[in-house]
Amino acid sequence: MHQSLPRGTTTTYRCYAHIDGSTQELIELIIQKNGGTKNIRGRYMVSVCFYFQVHQPFRMKRYSVFDIGRNHNYFDEQKNSEVMRKVAGKCYIPANAVLLELINRYPDRFKVSFSISGVCLEQMKLYAPHVLDSFKALAATGQVEFLAETYYHSLSFLYNKEEFYEQVRKHVQTIQELFGQTPKVFRNTELIYNNELAHHVEKLGFKAILAEGWDPVLDWRNANFVYKGKTTDGLRLLMKNYRLSDDVAFRFSNRGWNEWPLTAEKYARWVNNVNGNGHTLNLFMDYETFGEHQWEDTGIFDFLRALPGELFKHPDNSFKTVSEVIESCPMMDEVDVHNFISWADIERDLSAWLGNKMQQGALDEVYSMHKAVVQSGDAQLLEDWRKLTTSDHFYYMCTKWFSDGDVHKYFNPYESPYEGYIAFMNVLNDVALRAKVKIARNGSGVVSPQPSKHVMPYVG
Amino acid sequence: MLGWEFPPYFAGGVGTVCYELTKALAKKGVGVTYIMPNGPEEVSSPHVKLLVANREIKRLGVKTLRVKSTLTPYTSKQEYSWLNRYNTIVSAKDHQQRALYGANLLEEMDRFAISVEAIAEEEQFDLIHAHDWTTIPAAIALKNKFHKPLIVHVHITEFDKTGGEHADPEVYQIEYEGFKQADMIIAVSNFVKRRLINKYYVDPEKIRVVHNTVETREREITLVKERLNEHDKLVLFLGRVTLQKGPDYFLEAAAKVSLLIPNVKFIMAGTGDMLPRMIERAAELGLCNKVIFPGFVTKEQGEKLYRMADLFVMPSVSEPFGIVPLEAMKQGTPVIISKQSGVSEILTHALKVDFWDVDDLANKMVAALTYEPLHTTLQQHGSFEIQTFTWETPAEQCIKVYQEALQRPIVVMHT
Repeated sequence: MHQSLPRGTTTTYRCYAHIDGSTQELIELIIQKNGGTKNIRGRYMVSVCFYFQVHQPFRMKRYSVFDIGRNHNYFDEQKNSEVMRKVAGKCYIPANAVLLELINRYPDRFKVSFSISGVCLEQMKLYAPHVLDSFKALAATGQVEFLAETYYHSLSFLYNKEEFYEQVRKHVQTIQELFGQTPKVFRNTELIYNNELAHHVEKLGFKAILAEGWDPVLDWRNANFVYKGKTTDGLRLLMKNYRLSDDVAFRFSNRGWNEWPLTAEKYARWVNNVNGNGHTLNLFMDYETFGEHQWEDTGIFDFLRALPGELFKHPDNSFKTVSEVIESCPMMDEVDVHNFISWADIERDLSAWLGNKMQQGALDEVYSMHKAVVQSGDAQLLEDWRKLTTSDHFYYMCTKWFSDGDVHKYFNPYESPYEGYIAFMNVLNDVALRAKVKIARNGSGVVSPQPSKHVMPYVG
Repeated sequence: MLGWEFPPYFAGGVGTVCYELTKALAKKGVGVTYIMPNGPEEVSSPHVKLLVANREIKRLGVKTLRVKSTLTPYTSKQEYSWLNRYNTIVSAKDHQQRALYGANLLEEMDRFAISVEAIAEEEQFDLIHAHDWTTIPAAIALKNKFHKPLIVHVHITEFDKTGGEHADPEVYQIEYEGFKQADMIIAVSNFVKRRLINKYYVDPEKIRVVHNTVETREREITLVKERLNEHDKLVLFLGRVTLQKGPDYFLEAAAKVSLLIPNVKFIMAGTGDMLPRMIERAAELGLCNKVIFPGFVTKEQGEKLYRMADLFVMPSVSEPFGIVPLEAMKQGTPVIISKQSGVSEILTHALKVDFWDVDDLANKMVAALTYEPLHTTLQQHGSFEIQTFTWETPAEQCIKVYQEALQRPIVVMHT
């Protein structure tokens, strides 16, 4: 560490060691301008940061070409209410009850964070108001934080920044109204992230953003520290520890897994193993993990109920909400993410929504209608159009894993990606038609709706 | 193995399956002796021991009878009576079949049974694998004489030949007896399996599904399309124009499509007892300028039609397997197939409809013709998908069935 330093500066050195096959930071040294050194951190404990994603799309009907111009009800009310009620019964209600129980048992100690999409909140209001009430009850404890996202759980950032800003604004406003909090932390749809997004999110006034702790972007770092997004002034980056998250979310009930059955005691041991190798353990997962993806009979609720007790056996362990993490943990380094990453599939890229020509075509077309839909001045039309931007519609068109019958199929209300695409495009044609008619009637007629290479010839 | 045909001596659908299956079985070390009733002087195949019953028995000195009839194994009795009335538009295939099986089929089957019994005396075998109803009397005779396990391979049932409801009682009786006596049954699809359970009351426990397939090499695939003309899209139906194939649903959907897209033409290729009615119906629907009826087409003409078509439709009412869509996909043509087909169980990159849902069929026809990304995705994924099919898979599944059958106690029926 021989180096001559210009006066008035400090330089940071970090010492690393290879322990158990991974690079671990042992100590951080700051050499100050007077030449003295100061050890600011030694080995330290991690806190657990639980963040749960809650989302349900407005699924569409099997809308036929013969419905175009005749029927403007695109969404399958019956199916949507069925799913909401089913998931409420299996997941939202019992899981919220467990969380409330834990919050009461560990006042000021047990914390969780949520992001609930706007379209999901809307459906709770419509089909299961008691679920919304139970989330409000959680919010009232002061131990639960709500994040911001795009209201429509959309890919708008990729296609239209103006629309992206609008959808984020709408979501923030909704969270304020329902839960009396103003979100400070942002999560983009499916943890889609890159440098450019970080820049925009900082401009929107958020303090932090979530991303997948994907090894290729972390490089030599690990996900258990708080980082800074490149191209931002100081937007914090919280990165998902996908191994420990997926142990719960995906592997919990897998009998072929050599760690099955996963007990709270065993999991607490794994968490303790991270001690000395991070500040925060970011366990990010779909909330539907509890009771819906992992059914109650797998013991997932007992696991959740027992985990805090096991963790608190070690007196230094704690739970933190996302804001508490960024307030208490130092920012360690900058992470450069040029290409988009996400938390989906093994590729962790955008291929789940943009993997084939149908998906690319459908996304191009839906956003190409934005101008016309806004110009039509028809609030209902705009609202319908926005519901079409929900990422799930494009996920249903994914052909990547179709023949493997895995998660894509599980979540797909259509028999095939082709069915999903056809229904979506038919609806889009009706939206285009409505916009066109409205604009013509308004007499403004300057901008004509410009969907589309693939509009029905008879439309318009 | 007992079959009714084997290429090159009349390569019908089942004959081709037998050829490919025995070839794949041979590769896996299974020795097959294949006995069929008729054949030319010189038949041989590099991978099976091929015996033609009618010539073997001459050698062995067994006497049998011949009676005149035009019934063929893969047409229904109704069609058979129709064949006599509309002889002028009978397909070349039917002609070939009748030349082959000029004798009364039921008599022929009995004759085959007697011959096979005699021939088998000189053969070594562990089990009997019989294809379809025509070989059932022979298979049962063989089983009773040698007490070897019997596996009946069902490619089609009488119900499928007749559009789903009206089975010929004589044929049904033979099938029923065969399925009962079989130690195990191989069905070419779940569709056939359900038929066996619901219509023949077969114990599901002894049925195994082994899907047929078509092996496609990359060089056989072409994505180079031909055009009918500059401005028209083309939708193709190709198959026998009979109740089973659902040509009427194709026309009804065509009428709906024409209302939405003006520049589209339809071809209904093939012949059958419903053809005159279909020509009338097209006129009633005002589709005279839209639908073309070329009649029977050869293999080469068929391939050209697939290449010209923007979309191939198989709206079958009842299709135990249905290999035609795979032929269309080979020529880079997206397909719509009915869910009432065995092939829909293995094809992922195809649009699927219930045959009776004409609105949905029309909806998907319009979508495939209008939304170019849909067309392209179906085409690209489809041509890739068919290359993944190999005969190795069904051969392995058959071997599993053999092993299972050899371990079971033989079903003994007291009649």
